[in-house]
Amino acid sequence: MKVDLYNQLMRAGRLGRRDVLKGMASTGALAAFSGVATGISARPVWAADNASLRAQILKIPGVGAGSPTDADWQKVGELCLGPVKEVVQEGEFAGVELTFMGLNNQNLHNFLFRGFLKPWEAYTGAKINWIDLAQADYNARLQQSIATQTVDFDIIEMGAPFEGDVTGRGLASVMPDWVKSIIDMDDYVGYLKAPVGTWDGKTYRVSIDGDCHTFAYRTDYYDNEEFAKAWAEEGDGTPWEPPTTWQMVQKHTKFLAGKKDPLTGLDAHGYLDPLKGWGGFGFYFLESRATAYAKHPDDPAWLFDPEDMKPRVNNAAFVRAIQDVMDVMSTQPPDQINADPGTTAFQQFLAGTGSMISWWGDVGSNARTSDSSVVGDVVGFRHLPGSDDVWNHRKGEWETLASGPNEAPNMAYIGWGVYVMARVDSDSKKQKAAWSAAAHLGGKDLSLWTSAYPSGFQPYRNSHFNYGEWEEAGYDRAFVEDYLGSNADSYNHPNAAIEPRIPGIFQYYSVAEDELAKGFAGQYGSAQETADAIAKAWEEITDQIGRERQVELYKASLGL
Amino acid sequence: MSKEGDLLHVVTFDDMTPMRLRLGKLLIWGSAAVMALTFAALALAEAGYIGLEFENWRPALYGFLFWSVCLCIAQVVLHGEQGKRTLFVLPAALFVVAMVIFPLVFALGIAFSDWNLSSPTGRQFNGFDNVRQMWGDPFYWNALKNMAYYTLAILVEYAVAFGLALLLASDIKARKFFRVAFLMPLMLSPVAVSWMVGKSMMEIRFGPLARLARWLGWERPSFFGDPEVARAMIMMMDAWTFIPFMMIMILAGLQAIPRELQEAARVDGASAWRGFWEITFPLMLPVSITAILIRIIFKLKLADIIINVTSGGPGGATDSVTSFIFREYRDRSNVGYGTLLAIVYLVLIVVAITTFMKLVDRWMNPRY
Repeated sequence: MKVDLYNQLMRAGRLGRRDVLKGMASTGALAAFSGVATGISARPVWAADNASLRAQILKIPGVGAGSPTDADWQKVGELCLGPVKEVVQEGEFAGVELTFMGLNNQNLHNFLFRGFLKPWEAYTGAKINWIDLAQADYNARLQQSIATQTVDFDIIEMGAPFEGDVTGRGLASVMPDWVKSIIDMDDYVGYLKAPVGTWDGKTYRVSIDGDCHTFAYRTDYYDNEEFAKAWAEEGDGTPWEPPTTWQMVQKHTKFLAGKKDPLTGLDAHGYLDPLKGWGGFGFYFLESRATAYAKHPDDPAWLFDPEDMKPRVNNAAFVRAIQDVMDVMSTQPPDQINADPGTTAFQQFLAGTGSMISWWGDVGSNARTSDSSVVGDVVGFRHLPGSDDVWNHRKGEWETLASGPNEAPNMAYIGWGVYVMARVDSDSKKQKAAWSAAAHLGGKDLSLWTSAYPSGFQPYRNSHFNYGEWEEAGYDRAFVEDYLGSNADSYNHPNAAIEPRIPGIFQYYSVAEDELAKGFAGQYGSAQETADAIAKAWEEITDQIGRERQVELYKASLGL
Repeated sequence: MSKEGDLLHVVTFDDMTPMRLRLGKLLIWGSAAVMALTFAALALAEAGYIGLEFENWRPALYGFLFWSVCLCIAQVVLHGEQGKRTLFVLPAALFVVAMVIFPLVFALGIAFSDWNLSSPTGRQFNGFDNVRQMWGDPFYWNALKNMAYYTLAILVEYAVAFGLALLLASDIKARKFFRVAFLMPLMLSPVAVSWMVGKSMMEIRFGPLARLARWLGWERPSFFGDPEVARAMIMMMDAWTFIPFMMIMILAGLQAIPRELQEAARVDGASAWRGFWEITFPLMLPVSITAILIRIIFKLKLADIIINVTSGGPGGATDSVTSFIFREYRDRSNVGYGTLLAIVYLVLIVVAITTFMKLVDRWMNPRY
């Protein structure tokens, strides 16, 4: 769980230790009862075989009992060693040294891994050396290691977008079958299952996190009677309620221009578009506007043509998304052209400017915990809006689906995973050691703990979304259902838009940001011209990296 | 060493025996051969012509260090006392070769290569393709144009710095306090300035500067929405940080001017303006030129404030060459092209600064 989410839940739930222990006891009892009364086949997935263990680790240190420490991480690591012990003998890896490269964000990530793996080291006899990186240094360090053939780590914590750079070059070790059985991959949420984590049918990734964009909106705007009355007069006849399609988002955004924010009394604004680049991450926000237009349910591809890597970023769907942004630029706060996604979420939306944004989980968690947030009690969540029609790229026409609006939640960044490098493959003992460490970190029971306590990771298994379990543990049910529910709906959506895991994907995003900035500043004649400029720059990157190989890897990443 | 001529600084006379000379030459050429062999072995192993396996290029460094040490020893062996004198300079020269010249030559090799870190083919020599790409790259030319604007702003900064220096050189109250206070922005990191001023004080809703602007009648203040305004804001933030630097240099110059000159002018009936324009300003020219020159060099590196505040926007209006190279190199891993842009920028800077210094030299020391 992200730190802020944890704090938010604590504040929202006003938990006391006694409540928590009561909750834990109930959870254990409920789990035990479910198992006995309904039989294995009918048991909820989360209860699994380790209900008592799960209840036990959730008591470390106890929800609401302060931030976990290294001692707690070690305890959790020790308790969750069971699956490793089934396949590894005590002292089996004596003399083996492994190097683990990961992040040190917020004193989490590697710091937790150290604690979790300490009991593993003690049991197996292996030793782990650590390379801690700041987020900003991560990409450069990884790319340079790859390009200069100086991969000096055996295990890496890595985001799925980099899979093309690593697994696509054969630098990663293929996951052995015994690891698959330990980590229970069937429990992963829909989009984290293959092809994510796989290349050419081989599995490489132990997931430890999930990521996607969801839609956050201000509930007070939609509870406001004045707005409702004005919408009845000025609107299109639809009820005044949170928009479910981008067409409605556009209408609401235009409608709100010139009105006053019910909370702050300042100018009201609709959807906030971050118009400034953010080291490549800013492009995810155009994607979130475009996926409902561009991701057809019958076509796994939406950003490039899998046959030849021709960009789709200048097709009608993306041009419409760019045009949407341009159409509402005049309704945005002043200086919006200089607002990056961070500004949009934390300095604007949470501070009471604007009524709708797309963002990862942090906005939900910061809403009530951040000192600068004023929207804690008036924020709602759902998966990204859909579209009345969807662009069929192959047919070259807009289609209206019989099933209703097309929805395609953007799985922006996909989430962190643990990967083992191929350099351990030449030493079977080292290889087994590395994979058992990765399996330990991605274990099902341990992941319950990381989803419930500050860890830097989001829930990513179906077993993490059992709201009853959260409630029994003492969390606020309404918030969990709303906030985590929006994530769960996105993760398991059958038409989720998953980004291409090809080499250099952030290069494409970065150059797109530069061209979009020019387009938004009026330096191109139209949305189409802006999109064409992006497409041209993408073609150059593809040619530079190598088109044939990119095609091959793109197809592999799509599972084609 | 010669036993004739000026012998004032001669400590000892060295007898250079043929054996000693041979040993010296052997040291130089022998170690050079070892270094060359190391390089060749590494290159051949890299190309797959020989079966040796090297983990990295560190043996080449050891080869260079071995040759350097032998070269230094050989100076004494070959030239005796004179060689010892050479040793005062030679290690530093070898260090510069290793740390400046070699990387520069290596960078030239990269600059003429197609090297995207994500490309599986690695570095490929591509002749002048990067130059051609640069020629047609509107982002680079736009950044260069912005650099011209940013550099021209130094004239304004200089005028302000001169005024402040004059003020601090005169007999004002709390002069010492103001001298320290005016220096404080220079002590701040540009990154801190970006966040404190660009991101906080200029925040359009709650920032104090935005509030002031609204109070002054600017209904919807926007500091970075318009290209010209955004560029001016970047210039002002950068100027705020570095004007104290010019000011302190000029102040030091002002204090070095003898007071008698101004007093004599006043006795002759010169007004305050004529006293400044015809005495102080000309006498301050050498200091001013130095201050401007150093400021130009600082300015050409301008990147941190831009990266933090505008990312080069809106639409590239505030982009500097360095911030563009940062995006090209770091965000897009385009090492070859990014290096070429940096090399071209270096050449432009060297040419521009040299021309500037020549012009100033001609202006200040006219040859009739």
